[in-house]
Amino acid sequence: MAETLRRVLSGGNAAGTGEDTTAESGPPVLLLGAQGSGKTSLMFATALEAAGEGCGPVLFLTRRPLQRLPRSTRAAREPLRLQKVRFQYPPSTLELLQLLASTHEVPGPAPCLLLLDGLEEYLAEDPGTQEAAYLAALLLDTAAYFSHRLGSNRSCGLMVALETQVEADGADAPQLTLLQRYFPAKCWLQPEAPGLGQQGCFRACLELGTPGPRAEWTFKFFPDGEMKITPWPTQPTSPSPDKKSSSAGGQSLTSVCDNVSGQFPGPGTAGQVHMQRPKE
Amino acid sequence: MAVALPEVVEELLSEMAAAVRDSARSTGLLKFVFGSSAIQALDLVDRQSITLISSPSGRRVYQVLGSSGKTYTCLASCHYCSCPAFAFSVLRKNDSLLCKHLLAIYISQVMRNCQQLSVSDKQLTDILLMKKKLEA
Repeated sequence: MAETLRRVLSGGNAAGTGEDTTAESGPPVLLLGAQGSGKTSLMFATALEAAGEGCGPVLFLTRRPLQRLPRSTRAAREPLRLQKVRFQYPPSTLELLQLLASTHEVPGPAPCLLLLDGLEEYLAEDPGTQEAAYLAALLLDTAAYFSHRLGSNRSCGLMVALETQVEADGADAPQLTLLQRYFPAKCWLQPEAPGLGQQGCFRACLELGTPGPRAEWTFKFFPDGEMKITPWPTQPTSPSPDKKSSSAGGQSLTSVCDNVSGQFPGPGTAGQVHMQRPKE
Repeated sequence: MAVALPEVVEELLSEMAAAVRDSARSTGLLKFVFGSSAIQALDLVDRQSITLISSPSGRRVYQVLGSSGKTYTCLASCHYCSCPAFAFSVLRKNDSLLCKHLLAIYISQVMRNCQQLSVSDKQLTDILLMKKKLEA
């Protein structure tokens, strides 16, 4: 999944549709951010991107039917792509588990991407560690089963969105440590700056869980549905991953951004003022 | 032995001796890394307690008959076991990498000696959902 996400965030350079680019979707990704940080929109954009790659249907699970289609790039919202995204709305954790545990009973082509939006709502029902681990593990197992069905050189990606609370003291959300065991790759989202969330400007930071620099992007949703993504220039030497601070929701992402002060976003984000203000 | 054996048999015996030495070394390493869980896991393997359950769909799951007689369900694709030790030592306290059941599964995969069981797709769903079922 991390590779598909990276392609979306790299401006959808999936023009090269050779076997090697579509075969591996990479490790499962946990999308993290506070309310309104663009998670659903990004998940939807990723779903359409994967649907467009033509390797199979996409399964999008969320608790409530989407009231309207999330913002996305205009080109991606072609009817053919939308048709390939199957939405299902398990209303409770039990029904979500039943859905995941019984996917092998359903005939038809296996999805190439499985997305779950709003994991926090399902976890809230059963906050115990074993229950949370079981849900995470069953998600991984379902994606693994789809990969098995897809065949030898293809795999099913997995992307899960979890709303995080902004913790004043920087403490880890209690379940996040547990989820990291199953989702080593994480993508943190936050509004580019205070107030810009309403205008649809967001920052995404992808950590693969392996040593190496993080990749960051800025993306902006325009009122007409257009979405522009630009890579955020990364430092040659990134700050060393600090588990404690990197789990503190939006706060530490800002501190990472603070290290890159003085830079302005690239073209395509006109009208967006880049503000670096220290966060409390 | 004084009697000379055919060369091919000599070679075979020598390979087997090396394998036994390697196996002793591997077991030693296993105990070093996993402690007492290693011994319990090896015991589970010896007693053929691990079953790989699959259905016509191709989906699979493991079940391990624990030493207490209880059956635990373990996922095949990632680390999850329904036993209390997994929830406590692995998840909560982060003391251990694996519980003995998961370790036993890995060992039996290497040694290729777990039991196989075929069930229907519907039954596999029930197993994955960890439903309480009548013990056989």
